[in-house]
Amino acid sequence: MKRLIQGAVLASSIIASSFTALAQTDGGTLVYLAQPEPPTLASYVSTSGPIGLVAPKIYEGLFDYDTEGKMIPVLAKSVDVSADGKTVTFTLQDGVVWHDGTPFTSADVKFSVMEVLSKVHPRGPNSFREVESIDTPDDTTAVFHLKNPAPYMLRALSGYESPMVPKHLLEGTDIKSADLANNPIGTGPYKFTEWKKGQYIRLDKNEDYWKEGLPHVERVVARFIPDASTRTAAMENGEVLYTGYNGIPNIDAVRLRDRDDISVTTDGYSMINPMALLEFNTKEGPFTDPAVRRAISNAIDRQFMIDTIFFGYGKPASSALSSSFAATDLYKPMPNYPAAGDVEAAKKILDDAGYKPDGDGVRMKAILDVIPYGEDWRRAGEYLKQALGDIGIEIELRYEDVPTWLKRVYHNYDFVMNLNYFYQLPDPVLGVHRHYGTDQIRQGTHFVNSSRYSNPKLDALLDAGAKEPDAAKRSAIYEDVQEILAEDMPVVNLFEMQFLTVYNTKLKGVYGSAMGPYGSFSEGWLEE
Amino acid sequence: MNRSTKILRYVLRRLMQGIPIIIAIIVLNFFLLNMAEGDAVDVLAGEAGSATPEYMAELRAKFGLDQPLPVQLMVYLKNVALLDLGYSFRHDMPVAQLILDRFWPTLLLMTCTILTAVGFGILLGLLAAINLNTWKDTAISIFALITYATPLFWVGLMMIVVFSINLGWFPTSGMENIAAFYEGWDRVWDIAHHLVLPTITLSLFYLALYTRMMRASMLEQYGQDYVVTAKAKGLTERRITFVHVLRNALLPVVTMAGVQVGALIGGSVIVESVFAWPGLGMLAFESLFARDLNLLLGIFMISSVLVVVVNLIVDVIYSFLDPRIEVA
Repeated sequence: MKRLIQGAVLASSIIASSFTALAQTDGGTLVYLAQPEPPTLASYVSTSGPIGLVAPKIYEGLFDYDTEGKMIPVLAKSVDVSADGKTVTFTLQDGVVWHDGTPFTSADVKFSVMEVLSKVHPRGPNSFREVESIDTPDDTTAVFHLKNPAPYMLRALSGYESPMVPKHLLEGTDIKSADLANNPIGTGPYKFTEWKKGQYIRLDKNEDYWKEGLPHVERVVARFIPDASTRTAAMENGEVLYTGYNGIPNIDAVRLRDRDDISVTTDGYSMINPMALLEFNTKEGPFTDPAVRRAISNAIDRQFMIDTIFFGYGKPASSALSSSFAATDLYKPMPNYPAAGDVEAAKKILDDAGYKPDGDGVRMKAILDVIPYGEDWRRAGEYLKQALGDIGIEIELRYEDVPTWLKRVYHNYDFVMNLNYFYQLPDPVLGVHRHYGTDQIRQGTHFVNSSRYSNPKLDALLDAGAKEPDAAKRSAIYEDVQEILAEDMPVVNLFEMQFLTVYNTKLKGVYGSAMGPYGSFSEGWLEE
Repeated sequence: MNRSTKILRYVLRRLMQGIPIIIAIIVLNFFLLNMAEGDAVDVLAGEAGSATPEYMAELRAKFGLDQPLPVQLMVYLKNVALLDLGYSFRHDMPVAQLILDRFWPTLLLMTCTILTAVGFGILLGLLAAINLNTWKDTAISIFALITYATPLFWVGLMMIVVFSINLGWFPTSGMENIAAFYEGWDRVWDIAHHLVLPTITLSLFYLALYTRMMRASMLEQYGQDYVVTAKAKGLTERRITFVHVLRNALLPVVTMAGVQVGALIGGSVIVESVFAWPGLGMLAFESLFARDLNLLLGIFMISSVLVVVVNLIVDVIYSFLDPRIEVA
């Protein structure tokens, strides 16, 4: 045992000395938590969250966005949109090379958009749906020709959403099962070195990075720790320096944020815009009547859910659109319910609509399916059961594993009410249309219109909103959209979720991007 | 026929008998796992956000999931017969490689655990039996009961709180210090350092079992006629205990250890999860929720093969411990 302890002391002194090396601005190892472990690193075929935590350090997009939503040049130096909005010209950076030494050119951009993102990416066919062709007059110019103006396209160009991939390694292969999935070659600040499954992914500094003097750190390591309490312990011990997307649960984050060396931020999620919500089956069951759904919306104390279950992180939903869309003037609050709920008003709506309580005060019974993404949602389900019980809707909770739940809601439509959350993404066309459009009733496709809500008037507005280049007109269109959705409520929006990034304050320079944990970390550095 | 040929023939026969057992296990697992709702494509598409139905159908065809179940099973059995465990489409990697990557960390953790648990268990059991009904016996029994009754995850977390966060002696989790990437002997030391807490946590649980068992077994042997004979012969207490009783008392403990080695190879989800140890248990756990059936079947098959082999080894060890037991 004595020898063991000596070994421990020896090893910890080695750890200590390796950390003193981080004193300078350059150098050091940035260890962060990625949770859960990604299946592959093929960010061009999957937008899966865990992939997004690692791949954007390797693959870059044409632009990044700052926390105010302004475009920051990455692989593209600049972009020029013609007056009619149908020709979009990107000028690319000079002297960019792939990690294998091959030069990056406009041909790679054309291939990435036309052959990869538009074809095999889950959201790319939507983001680039108006792109008819791309011209590449020279190596650093890419001209996109669009069928219709697509204002939202310029908000989907980040390294996470639309990564640029190497044409010379993918052309002629089956892109979905290419070798690149486990051996990524990008243009980013860090090169892929090693993946020890179940332990970590190691990335090393790209010595030939096109941005002068960057990156600062020698090595970036994504660690995987399955247990949430252990992740918290590793953060407390300084073994890991950063984690996003609630890698450290709120309950621990509120404890850690009081420490001098650890901070918490909700920045870095404005391009994701997660919204917690209740989806209803509008075709069968007790919730086909919009009045019942409005009553439910009134019965819920949204602020209570945020304060009690999510430790104050969140913002009551006040419309079908997230308030982050105020930046592009698309958000209009639709206050037909108070944030703290109004049980009497809810009861009155039900009474007026003819749903009378029986002797036990029960008006109807239903099963609520709960999103199987952790304990917080189970608590939220338990709260909803209680809140809806107060207005005479007796709820039974159902909690299944992910594949079973997905199959039930999006394939079998075998549900009446589903607690879920959706990413509204940087533009309603990208993240919100899929929830309401008639063309988005696609059996077997996940996270689309499972309510099977269909309204021709809304469809026409959504179509117009996607193609309108004028900001003021677009704002008016979406005001109508939000009014219709507040009236019909095929979905009851609960609250705008706030994900937490927990970080050690000695890690600097990785907080300026709207992509947050899905950013490239190219300017990150470590302070003693 | 001499003894070694006898043992060899016995081993071969037992291995042959093992084959139908393993096939039965594969078939049973295959149908059980396919009874779960949803498949690997559902999970992949669900994680990806949105995927078109055509895209999902294409993936199913590529993974072979569009074939009828009996066909899928025959294909799988044929591949296993050719020692090919198939491909994990989720990881885009051969199953054999994924399992092998996790196999050595699992084996390392399990070997250390079994050695610690059996070693200390025998020692404590022995001490308790020799000091029957004294305070030492009581203390050991209480210790065994407490460790057996405490949930593993709690012990693990408390170990982390005390020894990592408060005392700073050991790292919280993982198998290596990944800020350093040591080579050679430094790496061996580093892994050993990371191994301490998970090994202690996991062995505490099994330790209790072996302690109780060893104690009971020793007491039973003390009551046997041969002990009376030995005493009548005038042998010392020490000699009776260590040469005669101990050897006989070990048999049930070895049996138990054999059964548990098999189970332990499957990994311990709780300890692997708490200490982020890259073992097979966590891999199986994750692949279940991802419906990565090829990978899961592979892990189950490896585990069943190991159970068969370990039981065989235990039976052979018996014949060495107690020459009266013959392999036949």
